[in-house]
Amino acid sequence: MAEMSTPESGAKKGKKKARSKKSSTRVDLTAMVDLGFLLITFFMLATTFSKPKAMEVNKPAKDKEKTEDLPEIKQSKTYSIVMGKNDMLYCYTGASDDSSIKVDSTFFSRTGIRAMIKQRQMEVQQQWGNKDELFVMIKPLPDSKYRNMVDILDEMAITGVKRYAIIDDFNEIDKLVAAKSGNRLLSEKGMQAINAEIAKTGIK
Amino acid sequence: MSKVKLPRKSTAIDMTAMCDVAFLLLSFFILTTKFKPNEVAQINIPASTAQLPLPDKDILLIQVEKGGKVFIGVDDQNTRALWLAKMAEHYKFKVTATMQHNFVVLDSYGVTASQLPQFLALSPEELNKVKQQGISMEIKPPQPSEFMDAILFARQSNPKLRIAVKADKEASYEDVNEVIAQLQERKVNKFNLITSGRAANAESANKE
Repeated sequence: MAEMSTPESGAKKGKKKARSKKSSTRVDLTAMVDLGFLLITFFMLATTFSKPKAMEVNKPAKDKEKTEDLPEIKQSKTYSIVMGKNDMLYCYTGASDDSSIKVDSTFFSRTGIRAMIKQRQMEVQQQWGNKDELFVMIKPLPDSKYRNMVDILDEMAITGVKRYAIIDDFNEIDKLVAAKSGNRLLSEKGMQAINAEIAKTGIK
Repeated sequence: MSKVKLPRKSTAIDMTAMCDVAFLLLSFFILTTKFKPNEVAQINIPASTAQLPLPDKDILLIQVEKGGKVFIGVDDQNTRALWLAKMAEHYKFKVTATMQHNFVVLDSYGVTASQLPQFLALSPEELNKVKQQGISMEIKPPQPSEFMDAILFARQSNPKLRIAVKADKEASYEDVNEVIAQLQERKVNKFNLITSGRAANAESANKE
């Protein structure tokens, strides 16, 4: 296949005859190479190359009997991020004193949420002398996607926020944000369970 | 004059080196290959910068599909056998040899406990065709959900199990949260979310 007979001139005829007598010990490896590459192709296609990575999540233990006093966190150290549908984020800083709360809307990007978290870290740094004092409260609304949760946790890792929590109960501001942005608040499943419960017990 | 002196050159190439390379690559791929498991659900995992590799064994994999269907499975076949025995005991059905075999080779399953005996009694070909509806997450107080039971039995079968949640990136937060909440009911507060790798400095804008 890969071998090509070179054209020979009539003058060399005698020489060629002498050559053909000794048989070469060389094997044509072309077919073997073909086979090798065929198998390589197969294994390359069949293999799962990108090994999935795992993101470790530690949730605080739920203890029904023991309702310990949760440590108070100063409002001025907090930052709330409410995650709504269509990858929207609504964030605000907890109110200190009587200053009114301003809710910003943003989305997942380097200039969006990441810049805002970084800015908030700087504010906390200035006020408290340590940016790790910042406490981020992540509040996913039922309409948000799982991807949003992974992204925001990732964002915490990237910006180096040490203290954060995923919180499922919403305060008045969150409820207002949810209502105004067209998100559902109570989970539908939760409502169904509640309604079923009510129907079963027959409370009127 | 020069014409006479010119040595005749063959166009045959020495294939030995190429052959060596080909087989070197081949052996690399054979050794590193891990075949794609037969997946019950099509799941697009989200990307994150997490760098922790997923451990190879003792994994309890919970898969959440886009629509919210939940499938679970463990990686080890011995654990699967024990797990099935525990479930059979709890839901009071009898395990035949076929059922045992079917369950042991199944990577993950997603049928309700009442359907499980029928489902496992099918032949392997039929088994693959069945559209699984996901494990029941419904909690009927005071009974825990079937999902919670399944988690419990799996962990009893192999206490070393680590829990990994593999959810579709488009899955609703609500569905995933339900899974997490029920895991927490079972005192599982530490688990892994499976994501695909991404460079830390990459733009984390709305990825598709």
